Amino acid sequence: MRRIDVGGVAIVAIDGACVGHDFERALDADIRLADATATFGADGVADVEGCARRLTRLLGEARAKEIVLGGRPFDAAAALRLGVVTRVLPPGELGDAVTVLADTLAALPPLAVRAVREAVRATRDLTPDAGLALEHAHFTRLIASRDHKAAVEAFFERRTAVFTGE
Amino acid sequence: MGANSQTRWWAAGRVGYVVIDNPPMNVLSDVNRRGIREALEEFRGEVGAVVLTGAGDRAFCAGADLGEEKHLTEDTVGRFLSRGEQTFRILRDYEAPIVGAINGWAMGGGLVLALWCDVRVGSTRARLGAVGVKVGLMASNVQLSRLFPAGRARDLLLTGRTVEADEAHRIGLLSSVVAPERLMDEATAWAQDIAARPGNLVAAAKRAVNAALEPEPAR
Repeated sequence: MRRIDVGGVAIVAIDGACVGHDFERALDADIRLADATATFGADGVADVEGCARRLTRLLGEARAKEIVLGGRPFDAAAALRLGVVTRVLPPGELGDAVTVLADTLAALPPLAVRAVREAVRATRDLTPDAGLALEHAHFTRLIASRDHKAAVEAFFERRTAVFTGE
Repeated sequence: MGANSQTRWWAAGRVGYVVIDNPPMNVLSDVNRRGIREALEEFRGEVGAVVLTGAGDRAFCAGADLGEEKHLTEDTVGRFLSRGEQTFRILRDYEAPIVGAINGWAMGGGLVLALWCDVRVGSTRARLGAVGVKVGLMASNVQLSRLFPAGRARDLLLTGRTVEADEAHRIGLLSSVVAPERLMDEATAWAQDIAARPGNLVAAAKRAVNAALEPEPAR
């Protein structure tokens, strides 16, 4: 398993066994990709409650219980069905896929990426109204950013925008 | 039945239809937002479900007009957001369920509109994207966080990537996918099934699902 950070967004690339501490680290990332050789299991994690809470938030209650209480190891196809990973690549193609994803993230405006990441975390604990208010506060701040203006200009000039994080 | 320069609407039996008609990409505007509101007001009490779609087969709705949006200032952005929210709230609070017929691109504010529908069916040309992040903004964060577990929501919101119809169906963003020429029949079938059930029970179920997304009190 390999973990890389791009502008505060953690990506993990999973091949082979992902159990115990690796499984915990994988769940802690923002985006998880795997190849077809990956296998998963919640057995042997250090923080059982933290892992259960995290899985419930990531997957919903029904799927979290299937993993935590059922306790069965599962393969890459099951991980995709459950939502533990969002993509499964053929063996040998994982490295390229991660590079492409990392490049995609690195090319996005950093302020917006950070804001989305924070807001997604916060929204789970907010009422819809409070969530929308938070989203609107971010939007109001972001629309005044230099990067947003650069994105709109690039869109109309049909070219790729370059962002500065301002 | 009614229309304005960017919206058309009519009812057939117990199903209302609203078409956003602002070619080529059906971008959101004050005009078509007003059309949606007027249509729903006119249908109130008369229909058991509403089908919302975009004209043509390129776009359901491509979101805000970036040309209009780039002129927003810190003073006017609040009004822009509240006008959008007013329309979205009407969809959410409307007693009759809204069936989104996703005929093409639904991105940015267009994805927000699609996500405020109660059920979404799509054609094989449906493409959905939370593209806000790509232009340095944020949109559909609240709905995606509530419709999907955090893992999925984060993938879609952080990358702004395009979700094609078959993946959208697999992850539950669309409830069914059919060929473009069959989309309106499919949406009509869903709407007629909904409209055939007792309206008060359907409305109660919609309210209950909306409320179930409120955070649970601490135990």
